[in-house]
Amino acid sequence: MNNPYQVLGVSETATDAEVKKAYLNLARKYHPDNYHDNPLADLAQEKMKEINAAYEQITKERGNGKNGSSAGGYSGGYSGGYGYGYGDSGTARQTWSNASSSSVLQQVRMAINGGDLSRAEALLAAYEQHSAEWNFLKGAVCYRRGWMDEARRYYETACQMDPNNREYQQALDYMENGATNSYHPNDGTFGTDACGSNLCAKMCCAYVLCNGCGYWGFCR
Amino acid sequence: MFGYVIPPLEGLAQEERDRFAQIYCGLCHTLKTRCGQRSRMILNYDFTFLAILLSDEEAPICGESRCPSSPITKKRYQKSDEAMNLAADESVILAYWQLRDGVADHGFWKGLKYRFLSRQLHFAYRKAAACRPEFDTAVQTQLQKLAELETENCTSMDQAADTFAELLAAAADGAENLTKRRVLRQMLYHLGRWVYLMDAADDLKKDTESGGYNPLRARFDLQDGVLTEEVRKSFTTTLDHSIHMIATAYELWDFGIWSKLLEATVYEGLFQVGRAVLDGTFHTGFFGKKKDKIVEETA
Repeated sequence: MNNPYQVLGVSETATDAEVKKAYLNLARKYHPDNYHDNPLADLAQEKMKEINAAYEQITKERGNGKNGSSAGGYSGGYSGGYGYGYGDSGTARQTWSNASSSSVLQQVRMAINGGDLSRAEALLAAYEQHSAEWNFLKGAVCYRRGWMDEARRYYETACQMDPNNREYQQALDYMENGATNSYHPNDGTFGTDACGSNLCAKMCCAYVLCNGCGYWGFCR
Repeated sequence: MFGYVIPPLEGLAQEERDRFAQIYCGLCHTLKTRCGQRSRMILNYDFTFLAILLSDEEAPICGESRCPSSPITKKRYQKSDEAMNLAADESVILAYWQLRDGVADHGFWKGLKYRFLSRQLHFAYRKAAACRPEFDTAVQTQLQKLAELETENCTSMDQAADTFAELLAAAADGAENLTKRRVLRQMLYHLGRWVYLMDAADDLKKDTESGGYNPLRARFDLQDGVLTEEVRKSFTTTLDHSIHMIATAYELWDFGIWSKLLEATVYEGLFQVGRAVLDGTFHTGFFGKKKDKIVEETA
C-alpha cells in the first residue's frame, strides 16, 4: 500500500487535527453524495477505500486511544452507497430492490447499476407502458449519459404522475439542487449563478439537511 | 473551438501563470513545426486546455525562443512531446472541420471568409489527419450528425450538444492509461457539451435575428432571443451538472503539476465565463478586452 500520509496529502509531522481535517476534506470529495449516478462512481469508491484505509492506519499507528474509535466510525459511515439510488445508501438499495412494478423495469435498474446504458435504453424503448417509473428510469439513463436537460424533463413527468413517490422526488431535487451543493475546494460555492456569501452557503447547507441528507451537517 | 475555457489566471500564483504561458507558447511552436506556419492561427485557450489534459503529469522540458508575436525578447515555451503533438494534431483537425462547417452554413459571400481560412489550413489538416485518421473520422461523423439535426430544427438541446460532446470526447482516445482515458472522456464529453451550449447562448441574439438554428431557441420558448429568469435558471442547472461531472472526473486522476491550473479552471473559470456569456458581458467586459492579451500580460 502507498504511504498513508501521501494518500491524505499531509506530512508525517502533521498534528492529529490536521490529519483529520485532510481526511474529512478528501472524504467529502469522494463521498457517494458527490458521485450520484456518476459513470465514474466505481473509481470514486476505490479512492474512498484508499483514504479510509490510510486514515485508519495512521490513527492506529498513533495509538489506539480516542482516535482509533473515531476512525472506525468514519470508515463505517462512508463505505458503500455508490450504487443506484439517492440519499441514504441503505434505504436507496432497499428501495431499488423492491420498487419495480415489473420484471422488465427491474432489469432496467440492474442494467443501469451495471453501467450498461445501451441495454437499459433498449429495454425501455421496448416497454410500452410509459408509467411514472418508466419516466424515472428514462431520466436516470439520460442523466448518466450526460443528457441533463432531458433527464430533468423525465424526472418532472415521473413526479407529476406519482407525486407521492419519494424516490422520484429525490431524483428531481438532486437535479435541481445537487450540483450547487456538490464538493468545491476551499469551501467555495459551486454554480454559474451561485451566490458567494457565507450566509447563502449556510442557507444552502441547512436546505440540504432538511432534505434528509445529513452528510454536510455532519462534516461541517 | 471557441475560446471559452479560460483559467482564472489573475487569481493564480506566478508559477502557475508561467506554466500556462509556456504550454500556450509550446502548443504554438508545436503547431508550426508539425503542421506549418499557417496552422498557428488556430491557437486558442480551449486547445491549450486540451494540451494540458493530454500532457504528462511531470514537469515538462522547456526552451527559449523568439517568435513572430515576441520578436525581440525570447520567451520560454514547453518543448514538443507526444502529448503536445497529439493536442496539436487534434486541434488542427477540429479547427479545419469547423471552418468547413462555416463554409457549408453560409452563402457564397458570407462563406468566403471560412473558405479562405479553411484553404489556409488545408495543408496542416492533411498532415494532421494522416497521423490521426480515427479522430478525423470521428469529427466528421459527429459534425455531419450535427448538421442533420440543425436542418430538422432539433428541439432537444442535449441531442444537439451530444454531437459536439462526443466529438471532443474522442480526443481522449489518445491517452494510454485506461483510467486516465475514462476520466478524460468524461471530462471532455461534458466540456464539449458545455462549450457547445455556451456558444449557443452567446449566439442567441444573432441567431434570433438571422433566423438560423440555435438549440436554445429550439428548446425554450423565447421572446426576442432573451433568456427569461426561469429559463436561465433551468439552463444553468444543466450547465452546472455538466461542470459537476467535469469536476468529479477531474478529481479521479492525479494531473500532477497541472492540478492547480485545472482545478482553478474547473471550479472557477468555467463559472466566470458562463456568467459573463449569460449576462452578455463576455465580449465587452473583462474577457472581451483581455482575451488575447491575458497570457502576455500575466506571464
